[in-house]
Parts: sequence; C-alpha cells; structure tokens
Amino acid sequence: MSNSPLSLSNVSKSFAGKPAVQGASFTVNPGEIVGFLGPNGAGKTTTLRMALGLIDPDEGDVKLFGETPGEQAFGRIGFLPEERGLYKKQTAREAIAHMARLNGVKGREAFKLADDMLDKYGLGDAKRKKNKDMSKGMAQKVQLLSAIAHNPEFYILDEPFSGLDPVNQQVLEGIVREISQGGNTIIFSTHVMEHAERLCDRIILMSGGRVVFDGSTESALDKAPRRMVLSSESGGLTEIVTPFAKSVEQREDGALQLVLKDDAKAHVILEECVTKKVKLTRFEPKAPTLHEAFVELVGADVTAQMDLDAQEALS
Amino acid sequence: MSVLPKINMRRTLLIARRDYFGYIKTWGFWISFFLPFVFGIIGFFAASMDFDFSPPKYETILDQTGQHEAGIKAKLDADNQKVMRTAIEGMTKTPLFSDQQGEALLKAFDDGGTEAAKAYIRATIPTAAGQLDNALDNLDFNVIFVEPPARSLDGLMPYLLGDSKIMVDGEPQKLNGALLLTPNGSETKIEYWSTQINSPKVQSLTERYFRDRAEDAYLSSKGLSKEGLKAARSGSSEVVIYNPEKAADETGGGQAVTKEDRIPYAVAMGLSIVLWFTVFSGAYMLLTSMLEEKLNKLLEMMLASTRFSEIILGKLLGVAALTITALAPYIIIGIVGIIGVIAVGPPEISAALQQSFTPQILLFFALFLVLGYIFYGACFIALGSLSQSMQDAQTLTTPIVLILTLCMLVVPIGLENPDSPIIYAASFFPLSSPFAMLIRLPSNPQLWEVLLSVGILLLSCIAVIMLAGRIFRFGVLSGAGVGAVSAWFKRTVLRRSAG
Repeated sequence: MSNSPLSLSNVSKSFAGKPAVQGASFTVNPGEIVGFLGPNGAGKTTTLRMALGLIDPDEGDVKLFGETPGEQAFGRIGFLPEERGLYKKQTAREAIAHMARLNGVKGREAFKLADDMLDKYGLGDAKRKKNKDMSKGMAQKVQLLSAIAHNPEFYILDEPFSGLDPVNQQVLEGIVREISQGGNTIIFSTHVMEHAERLCDRIILMSGGRVVFDGSTESALDKAPRRMVLSSESGGLTEIVTPFAKSVEQREDGALQLVLKDDAKAHVILEECVTKKVKLTRFEPKAPTLHEAFVELVGADVTAQMDLDAQEALS
Repeated sequence: MSVLPKINMRRTLLIARRDYFGYIKTWGFWISFFLPFVFGIIGFFAASMDFDFSPPKYETILDQTGQHEAGIKAKLDADNQKVMRTAIEGMTKTPLFSDQQGEALLKAFDDGGTEAAKAYIRATIPTAAGQLDNALDNLDFNVIFVEPPARSLDGLMPYLLGDSKIMVDGEPQKLNGALLLTPNGSETKIEYWSTQINSPKVQSLTERYFRDRAEDAYLSSKGLSKEGLKAARSGSSEVVIYNPEKAADETGGGQAVTKEDRIPYAVAMGLSIVLWFTVFSGAYMLLTSMLEEKLNKLLEMMLASTRFSEIILGKLLGVAALTITALAPYIIIGIVGIIGVIAVGPPEISAALQQSFTPQILLFFALFLVLGYIFYGACFIALGSLSQSMQDAQTLTTPIVLILTLCMLVVPIGLENPDSPIIYAASFFPLSSPFAMLIRLPSNPQLWEVLLSVGILLLSCIAVIMLAGRIFRFGVLSGAGVGAVSAWFKRTVLRRSAG
C-alpha cells in the first residue's frame, strides 16, 4: 500500500460533456508543501474534489492514503473549500469546536483547542463573537482554523489566500509554514504565484484541465528565461554579450537587458568583459520568477489570465 | 450487502445537535415559543379583569311615527337572547357537558333565562362555573338604546359629532348614532346618522325589524301567525342516528349515536392536524437549514469528514427535536386541556376521551408521525440542496406544499365518510397515508390495511431517502439547481433540447 497522502493516475472528469480535468496524474508525498496553480477554470477545484471523494472521476484512479477516498480518511484531512462560509449564528469557538468534533476530537478538548487556536492566531477577543458579526478576514481565519484544528496529517486548502488582505495573507503563510514543520503534508491551490514561490517545495500547474508542469519549485524556476542587466561606460558591450544572448534589448537607462541562451554562463560573460577591458558599471543577473517560468510553460495569455484571477481573488 | 447506508452515530448526533442549538439559541425561536403562553396569560387576565374589548355603543331612536321605537328595542332584546342561547348551545357541545346535561342546560335557559342557566352550570359543573359565567357575561351586547337628548336631528348633531355628551349612569358618554324614523306617506323614511360608518349593527337590526313586520303582516293577511309557524316546526320529527357496530346494552338498546361516540373521530382529527403541522413545520425548517448550509458552502467542508447519510440523518433528527420543541407549547396546552376535560368533565365524556387514546391509535400516530416526517423531510432536504436561493426553494417546493395542503383536505372527508373510496386510496398513497389512515382508525379498519399502509410508507421513506441522497450529492457538489431540474424536465419529459 502506498504511503502517499494523495495519488492521481490518469484522472478525467467532464461536466455536461465539457472536460474539466483530462488525464491528470500526480502524487503528493508525505511532508511536502505542494502549490496547485492555474487560472480559473483550469480544473484545480474539480481535481481537489475528486481527491476528497466528493465527486467521482469519469476515468482514472484516485488514492487517498493509498485507498479510494472515503471514510478511512475522515479525521486525517483538513479541507478548506474554495467558497467560504460559516454558520452565521455560531460563535468563532463553536465553529472551530464543531468541525474539530466532527473530525473526532472529544467535546471539552475541542473547545479548549478552539480557545487556544483563537488566542494563538490573534482572535482571542472574537471567541464569543458570532460569525455574522466578524469581518470577512476574521471569518476566513476562523474557517481555516476550523479546517485545521484537529491537527490532520494532510491539508487540502482550496484558494486559502483568496479574499485576504496582505496582513492576513502573511498570517496565513505563517500558519502554512507552521503546520508544515510538524511533517504534515499540504496541497493548496492558488492563483498567486508569489505565495507558491515562497511556500512550496513543489508546484503543479494546471491549464485547460491538464497538468502542464509538475516538479520542484527550483525546476519550475529553471524553466524561466535567465535575464541579466549590464551597463558599461565604454563601448563594445553589445558585441561581447550578443553571442551569449537569445535577445538583447536596450533599456531607457541605457543598460542592456539580455535573455541568456540556455548554455550561457554568467561568469563566462564576466570573464569576456574583463578580457576585452570593458569597464562594467552594472552586472546584475536577474533571479527568475515563477511568473516568467509560467509564461514559458503555458504562454503569455494563460499567465496573464492567472494574474487577473489573482488580482480578483485578492481584491 | 446492506441497502441501508453506514452511519456513525457520534457524527450524526453532532450534526443533529448543531441544527437543534442553531435554532434554539435564537431570540426569534423563544419569542415564538412563549407567544402562545403570553397570549394565554393576557387573555386570562383580560377575562379575569372583565376587560371590555368592545365598549358599549349608545344609540338613540327618534321615532316621529310613534310606531316603531318599542318594536326595535324589543327586537334588540330578542337578538341578545338569541346570542346568549347560541353561546349556551355552543357550551353544551363541548366535552364539559354530556348530551343530557346539555339539553337540561338549554331547557333551564329557555325556561328561566340567563340566570337560570348560570345556576344550572354552578350546580352541575362547579369547577368550570366561574369561567363559563364570565364567558356569558362578556358576550358582545354592545348596542344600548338611550333616550334621545334632543328631539330633532339638528339638536342631536352636537352629540353625534362628539361636541356634547349624553349622561349614562352619571358618566358622560358619546352618542354613537341616531336612528331617525319619519312618516313618508304610508311608508316610513328611515335614516341612521353616525360618524361610525363601519358599525352596521343598528342598520341591520332595523332592517330585520321591518322585514319581520312585513312577514307578520303577510302571515296575518292569510290568517296565520309566526307563533303558529314555530309550533308547526317544533312538532316535526327528529332523526335519531343508530350505529349497528355499537354494542347494545342489556335492554337491547343503547345503540343510538351520542356525542361520546363521536369523540374518537375528533381525537383522530386532532392528531391528524398535529401530524400535519409537525410535518409541515419540520419539513420547512429542514429546507431552510439545508439552504443555509448550501449557501454558506459549509457542506463541502463537512463532507470531508462526514458521510452524506450522516448529514441527512443528523438533520432529520436535529430538526425533529426542534419541531417537537417548537410545538411544545401547543402540545402542552392540548394535553392540559384534555386532562382538564377528563378531570372536570362529565364521567361519560371523560371515559370516552380516555378510551379514544387507545394504544393502537397512539402507536400508529407515533409511526405515522415519524414516517411522515422522514418522508416529507427527505423530500425537502433534496429540494433544499437543489436550491440556490429562497426563491428557488419556494419554486421547487410549491408542488409538494400543494400536495401537503391537499392531504389536509382529506381529513374532513374522512371524518364524514371514513370508508369513501378517496380516503381508502389516500390511506395507501404515501404522500397522504399518514393523515388519511389516522383519520380512518376510529372506524376500525382491518389491521392488514393499516399495516400495509405503514409498510408502503416505510418502503417509500427508504426510497425517498436514497433518492434524496443522490439529489443531495448532485445538488450540493455539482451546483445543480432549478436550472438543472428545468433542463432535465425539458430533455426528458418534453423531449426537446434545453437550449
């Protein structure tokens, strides 16, 4: 039996004849933080719902803790759905304790857990506040705490950063880091590449219902074009760098921006400049971003759509 | 393999508990809960303090014909007597009086008037005499004729407009209206002047007085009289109803149908109404609870740690407890009323009432209550899971609410004719069987018929729960709603593209 928290093998799902997920395969390994990225409609939520057994795939195989999703996973999973909500008339502690109890925590222990978590995450004053009286950000934090209070092994968070202000996004990042420190496994979907870049060991990118990238964050960044900015007081720089570059562009400040060829090495360019006695005033390799990697992987249009989705989700 | 879904009772009860306390903790619930008691207390105090909700209206008659004033006043007295008799007749139909006692009370009234009737009540039912006395004292005799304070309409105007007051028992009062009767050839011109344009009592009284006069004149022209007509009617025969199923007494008689014989039917009707209200209010609470969770998107979160079946069963249990709590005031008032009648009512009525609550009727009431609630509750959960808003829910539930309302209509039919084909069919049709079979029970249907009805309902409940589970899953997770139902209807029933 596999000890992977989640494994999908060639999974497909259609709604009313329209494919939502096509042939998705990936495995989430124990202890990983996996960022599940893609624009709206890429099939992320459908994939996560199939992972939980909320909907059945038309084809393929889903294994949760090595078995078909079902009751054996109850209590071992913390799930935060994409769309948010709480019982309006419940208090924050009741909401957290209720979900914890459904996940197997005993009555008093659940309430103590709820109190401790609310204190820990700065919501101590809101313990007895009804959910309907909370701000959107507070309510989202309470729902997240409801999903994780029972300390599950595997966290499935669907768009956890959506709708949070920057301060609460930082808080949430902190929570994700903290739960990962205990060796727990996390998969979260997001449109916001920066969160994935900062938090994830691994990234799975979906587009048009297909997994278009699955690998470590580093390997994703390797897909991004390598850029470098150089400037010189003397002439001849363009001639030196052109053999190393896919493209050379002159910026408004007079500096040259290069997109390096795959085999080009920064230190070789520097040595060439020294040899040719070109006095450099700027030599700045640019760190690749996931955004650039995704433009490479799925094209500029899809990446632009993800940016728009991210702005919408965070607004 | 079991057809019944697996259930973890701990999770199921947690869901039930959440649903129960979710409502119980609201102010609105407790306001509704205590309202019947509050109204009861207000009513009790109003009755004890002899508070008059409809103070007397002082009217006057300016009869310039000199012929009608006394007749109209006598007509008012006769009307008041009739109201009193109707009230006493109504009292005799309550379980407080047996048939014989009722007849004796009416006779006491006819022979000796209100005071004689009150004396009879005090002697026969001393425990309830105070309330019945009050009830009779508070009857709405709110038209009182007074002497006209002026002898012309112009002179009466300041009183009618409230600028001047009349004196009644030393207290200044407003004159409500004036009836002006003036000769008009051989006819009488009748005018009623009042600022209270929605108070037609004097108008109606006067019209009836003149109609009676016309009838009297016609009858006397034929050599007849009203008294003669009444006497002829009173000699007509009364039909006594006998029931061959009723056990005969030692004299071979006693099979005449009495009020006591009808009590089991009244009990069955009462239980049917309780059943209907329980099912209706419970089903609606399930609908709103389901809708709240669907709109709050909490179901998906719950489904990661709970089975569908546990959510459905938890909701059914939670809302059942909630419905019983919500109906508790009415149940308590009903039980207290029944115990009161058993305690202070005539022995034969008490006995009949006690015998109406047979183990059989209580058992089948409980069975039909549970099964009827589950059947309709599961339907409403399914419909709630398909709804995206309260408007959607109303659209989807309209047909089922209509069916429930129609089911209520079978109750009076069943009361009058428990063996009618429609009641017979309704007692096996799962949508109506809880109500229809309950109303048939006092007429002693065959046991197999009752068991068959329960069996069909039980199987229907299982089918509906399974179907509801599928619809629930479909509705909650696929976001399917009224649109999906409409598309399915067009595709499958109308056999055309949903477009």
